[in-house]
Amino acid sequence: MRTGNKFTPWLFSLPALTVYIIIVLVPVIWTLGLSTVDWNGITKMSFTGLSNYRKMFKDPTFKAAVLNNLRFTLISTAYQYIIGLSMAILLNSITRGKNILKVIYFIPCIIATVALSQIFIKLLALEPKGVFNVVISALGFTPKSFLGNPSTSLVTLAVVDGYKYCGIYMVIFYSALVAVSQDVVEAAYIDGCGWFQQYRYIKIPMIRGVSTVVLVMLINGTLKSFEMPYILTNGGPGTSSEMAATYMYKSAFSSMRYGYSSAIAVFLLCECLIAVTLLRKFMPKGESE
Amino acid sequence: MGHHFQLAASLSYSLPKGFYLGNYKYALEISNIPRAFFNSVIVAFSTLTLEVALACPVAFAMGKLNFRFKNQLMSFFLMGMMIPTFVCLIPMFRIYNAAGLRNTYLALILPQVGFGLPLSIYMYTSFLDFIPNSLLEAAWIDGANAFQIFLKVVLPMMKNTTITVITFKFIYVWNEFTYANTFMTGKQMKTLPITLKDFAGEFGMVNWGATYAAITMAILPTLIVYFFLSKNVIEGMALGAVKS
Repeated sequence: MRTGNKFTPWLFSLPALTVYIIIVLVPVIWTLGLSTVDWNGITKMSFTGLSNYRKMFKDPTFKAAVLNNLRFTLISTAYQYIIGLSMAILLNSITRGKNILKVIYFIPCIIATVALSQIFIKLLALEPKGVFNVVISALGFTPKSFLGNPSTSLVTLAVVDGYKYCGIYMVIFYSALVAVSQDVVEAAYIDGCGWFQQYRYIKIPMIRGVSTVVLVMLINGTLKSFEMPYILTNGGPGTSSEMAATYMYKSAFSSMRYGYSSAIAVFLLCECLIAVTLLRKFMPKGESE
Repeated sequence: MGHHFQLAASLSYSLPKGFYLGNYKYALEISNIPRAFFNSVIVAFSTLTLEVALACPVAFAMGKLNFRFKNQLMSFFLMGMMIPTFVCLIPMFRIYNAAGLRNTYLALILPQVGFGLPLSIYMYTSFLDFIPNSLLEAAWIDGANAFQIFLKVVLPMMKNTTITVITFKFIYVWNEFTYANTFMTGKQMKTLPITLKDFAGEFGMVNWGATYAAITMAILPTLIVYFFLSKNVIEGMALGAVKS
């Protein structure tokens, strides 16, 4: 559409653009700069070049955090992918109550992380025994403090995080399954295809593009995960569930090491960008949504 | 109080012994929850209004007006969605401190608007693709200028998209934790999620009943919005997740 005035579009765009630049662009660039200095917010800032990064790669807590992050990503991604896909297949296979099930299953997504964490902390507690542990004892297993035990805290965190967000992926997979052309499926039925086979040989391969997108989203999202780890376990006990993001937050706001934590932030930013780029290159591309 | 704690002790795995609103009363009296509720409402209302007010014009410009840097501008905004929010926390902390904005509502409104803009803009531009240009051309021929076309023709048509944007963003803003935790330290200015966390920290081990009451009150608004507009919420959140 023509415009009379060449400046009109810019007039429309200026407010949003200004806000966006000040709030998003400037801080990102500032963070990049901050990562090269040593600063605690009170004494003078001193330029240290890349030494923050060198310190970072030698830091045992940081290395533990990154490893935890990778394990967390693996577990949470697998959980959300599998459960999301399964629920979507279930939705696609039932004839009634689809909407109700969809609505119910999406509820965890909209509950505040704070609230959800509190509920799970109570559920998984050891003393007093939460519901979960009561059931476990009744079944004959020994109850455990799932969140308070260094060996189980990370897995528990990953499962709770997955529980919260898998609804989104269910919705995405479901939309994709619904979009599969019915003609192909009907033709297969005529050829004697059963329920399980229709999924295995037709529908799932046909949503390969969406599957890739979901995988990218999951890995990207879990790598950056901050709220759930911070609220549920705060990285503890010890460093058993420390994530790169929580470590960055703690370095900045508890230890006042602004330069160092900026370096961690930059590392996270690069990690996500690299992960997404690599994934997009090596995965088969289908029709994206 | 004794009866109350007895109830709490058995709450772990037994059905409640009857409706006991005392928990809610207790939670409301002893904590900062009413004030926090108010804060959350203000932040949510301001953030959503500002975001819609900023996103609509830009989307109109990029979707319907012709100008040279249209595509670059779009990519510029979309780039913002890739950035994890906490990467910018430290500089924002310094800026807001220096500008005296810490512990004010603006400290929560601005980042959420800024980082939320890309998605809102994307949703509006996608919607605008469905509006045929001929409609706008007709108004153009009748002598309307761009502003009038925007206000009288396009804006009313964007109502549905606006509802979708507002509903699912409301969920995000209401539940927002990171910025509130970082920028709001004054007790009077904290929003609901933070206050809930403090409450649970203080009373979580001692008073399960009140803690659960507090949790329920905190999630009630989002549940209400969700049950009335679940379709919009689901659509919006799924799209938001895909795009980022």
